[in-house]
Amino acid sequence: MVTKVLCVAEKPSIAKAVANHLAGGQVQTRNIQGNPYVKNYEFSYNFPTWGQCNVTMTSVLGHLLSHDFDAQYKSWRSCDPSALFEAHIETFVEDDKKAVAENIKQQARYNRVLYIWTDCDREGENIGTEIRSVASQGNPSFRQPGNTVRARFSNIERAHIINAARSPVQLDEAQSNAVSSRIELDLRIGASFTRNLTMSLRPMIQEHTGEERSQVISYGSCQFPTLGFVVERYIRVRNFVPETFWGIKVMHEKDRIKVSFNWARNHLFDRMAVVILFERCLTARTARVTKVQTKPTSKWKPLPLTTVELQKCGSRFLRLDSQRVMQVAEQLYQKGWISYPRTETDQFDRGMDLQGLVQKQTQGGPWAQFAQGLMNGGFSQPRSGRNNDKAHPPIHPVNFVVPASLSQEEQRVHEFVVRRFLACCSHDARGSKTEINLLYGFEVFSTSGLVVLERNFLDVYPYDKWTSSQDLPDFREGQVFEPTEARMYEGQTSPPGYLTEPELIALMDANGIGTDATMAEHIAKIKTRDYVQTRPRARQQRREGEEEEYEPGEAAEPDVGRGRGRGRGRARARGGRGGANGRGGGAISGVQEFIPTTLGVALVEGYENMGFETSLTKPFLRKEMELRMKAICEGRKTKAEVVHESIEQYRDVYIRTQQRLDSLRAAVRKYVFQEDG
Amino acid sequence: MASQRQYAATPAMASGNAEDVAASISAFLASKHVPPTQAWMNGFMSTIRLNTPIVALQKTALFRLLATDITTSITKSPASCFAANITDPQVKEKHVRGPITVQVLDIEDIGRSRWSQVEAIEAQERGETTKGREVIRVVPDENSSDAATQTESKSSGPHKLLLQDAYGMHVYAMELTPINGVGVQMAIGAKLVLKDFIVARGVLLLEPRNVEMLGGKADTWDKKWREDRKKVLKEKAA
Repeated sequence: MVTKVLCVAEKPSIAKAVANHLAGGQVQTRNIQGNPYVKNYEFSYNFPTWGQCNVTMTSVLGHLLSHDFDAQYKSWRSCDPSALFEAHIETFVEDDKKAVAENIKQQARYNRVLYIWTDCDREGENIGTEIRSVASQGNPSFRQPGNTVRARFSNIERAHIINAARSPVQLDEAQSNAVSSRIELDLRIGASFTRNLTMSLRPMIQEHTGEERSQVISYGSCQFPTLGFVVERYIRVRNFVPETFWGIKVMHEKDRIKVSFNWARNHLFDRMAVVILFERCLTARTARVTKVQTKPTSKWKPLPLTTVELQKCGSRFLRLDSQRVMQVAEQLYQKGWISYPRTETDQFDRGMDLQGLVQKQTQGGPWAQFAQGLMNGGFSQPRSGRNNDKAHPPIHPVNFVVPASLSQEEQRVHEFVVRRFLACCSHDARGSKTEINLLYGFEVFSTSGLVVLERNFLDVYPYDKWTSSQDLPDFREGQVFEPTEARMYEGQTSPPGYLTEPELIALMDANGIGTDATMAEHIAKIKTRDYVQTRPRARQQRREGEEEEYEPGEAAEPDVGRGRGRGRGRARARGGRGGANGRGGGAISGVQEFIPTTLGVALVEGYENMGFETSLTKPFLRKEMELRMKAICEGRKTKAEVVHESIEQYRDVYIRTQQRLDSLRAAVRKYVFQEDG
Repeated sequence: MASQRQYAATPAMASGNAEDVAASISAFLASKHVPPTQAWMNGFMSTIRLNTPIVALQKTALFRLLATDITTSITKSPASCFAANITDPQVKEKHVRGPITVQVLDIEDIGRSRWSQVEAIEAQERGETTKGREVIRVVPDENSSDAATQTESKSSGPHKLLLQDAYGMHVYAMELTPINGVGVQMAIGAKLVLKDFIVARGVLLLEPRNVEMLGGKADTWDKKWREDRKKVLKEKAA
């Protein structure tokens, strides 16, 4: 008897790709009723576990089930918002997913095995259990452990998929439970706080503006801390008081080269102190070379690519915000060009055939020659970072694709992924660094020179810069000379910039809020809710010693130490993308910075002023929730425990905010209505 | 008595004679460069039991003396205090042998901007440095060129101190190299003994070899200093 297997993927494109790989092209496609996107693919395949099978492969469209409160709680006026902490939640199929669910239920009847092919992350695991529960309505036998299995895959490449198909595993209930708890918590906490917040503030805002808009002031346990970071930086910038500092500069001309030496103390904020120290230098008259050291140095190749890194680099180098980068990366993954783009892993498994992947990139693209170079002996094992989520490898290119066949945005992201991967497989860049120290009076000064000897990975990875400095003249230890020039100078501190997206992502990551999969969404949320706005950052005056940033459209420029010009400060033609060609204060750099709206500031200030315990705009509440969810995945806590603990914590905060709503109202008056006091 | 064993090496159990005990304690304090005034000794003697081991009395005396204002509690002499013209900015350089005992009235970290110090205090007030509630505000970036500003906000020193001798004279001093125990967490009213140091344009230049840290504190001054600190830093920044 031929076994009948029902495979269900998360998206139609995955279903189609997997079906074609397994069937070797012999696939029959059927439409389903009620939805034009989902198709059923029928083919036969020989699974080691079940032998020759008739397979039906279909998909869902993301989450199949939705959750909401029972009808009696749906209206905002129906109950006190705090009742939502305990109100019953019902699970149901949303109207737009009914056809998809129906298809699953029907197909379930004809099949003996349910094979889940959702993406391998927590959400995917949860969707897998949703599929199982819907399918079980058509075929209760799927509830038995042996009859539902799951495929473990990280990309849509043929050999990888076939391998995955032959080694099914069990659904990870723990991960699915973690997601369920998150869904429940987000619903309860989000709804109760949103209703409370809106009902407390909307009347006064409507009264003030005279509009009857039903504006919702929403709360999300991740969005608020994200907003908190933006507002905190904004206030820091606004409150910033510039201060004058003083420093000492020493310059010496030798062998027709002007060498600048930096003061070991950098600069001080007391003029008298610097004057005194400077005078002692002048009194000493001569400086003595205390150290001349030349040693090899290197610039490390980058670490393998994670989601957070991709988002940061997308913002900095590719002019795509984090949400867009992830959308494009997802497309590239579905088409089979790159591996699963949601990963925290920054180390490649030792057994992986990296050379094979490099070989594929020799077929074309602007990096073909470099890839060939790696195959001809330039290959080096990638660095290993400290993270491994055990689910997916770092993001890497899986196949060769002609860049022109991709859309503009896909090309940019794809190119970045390929270049990053090839850079990982190269050698570090190597150079030679000379350090010279002086003792002048009582003060220490130093300078250094760099000669880049081998660019290696830099030739394929233009996003990092490392250039030779000017040549240094010869100095010998013990040498004594009178510096050509020594002078005191004055400068002023300047405020930090407003938060850019890469900085915000880095802060969310460092403070443990949001997972790699959700960070971009939270950032998008605070934009759509009108809590923040973005604007391009005006390029500031270049400060001493700042590196130049990579601009898309620039060719990577090899600069192997020829000539006197420093790496910085040379005039260069800019690519046409978004900005003036001039240098200096007015040029736009294209990186977006976040400015909170008056409402955003009012919310953060309002909650801050309520006191330390109610810090909804600080990351720790959410961070603790994320840690609890991790505990569910690792089997250390149950869903019930976690939901209970988090609800109690937030309920506490809810009660406190109720008592101190005046603080919130005062902040709205101050910032949104611009009333004083 | 059991305590006798600990003090076996030293000769003196208190003999019970008030004069001798007082003399012994005074001599001890003088050897530490904090010779007490008669008035202070009288006050101290009225609080002790004469049959306490002498070493314990000496230690207690030192501890209490270090908590006082030296302009009233120790004897003054030209040799142990600053010369009147020490703060003269016309004098390029002068060498002072000492030893001179001083107390710390104020201390400033001049390696960091005052505003960054204000921000650090505010972050602490918001509870962002409490364990479990830490908020990371600056993420070190591998490619960051801003290493200079980042390290600046964490740097400690050099420090500028306002010192006062037994005559009450105020003098500024600066650390040339970091001195153990000198920092913004040090107690206001702490006593130092200075030896063999340079004065440049009226400012003392201090290195570890010039400074013996006696310690101590003036409770009320220290408390007030800490309370006012944020306000003072803000005023100085503006």
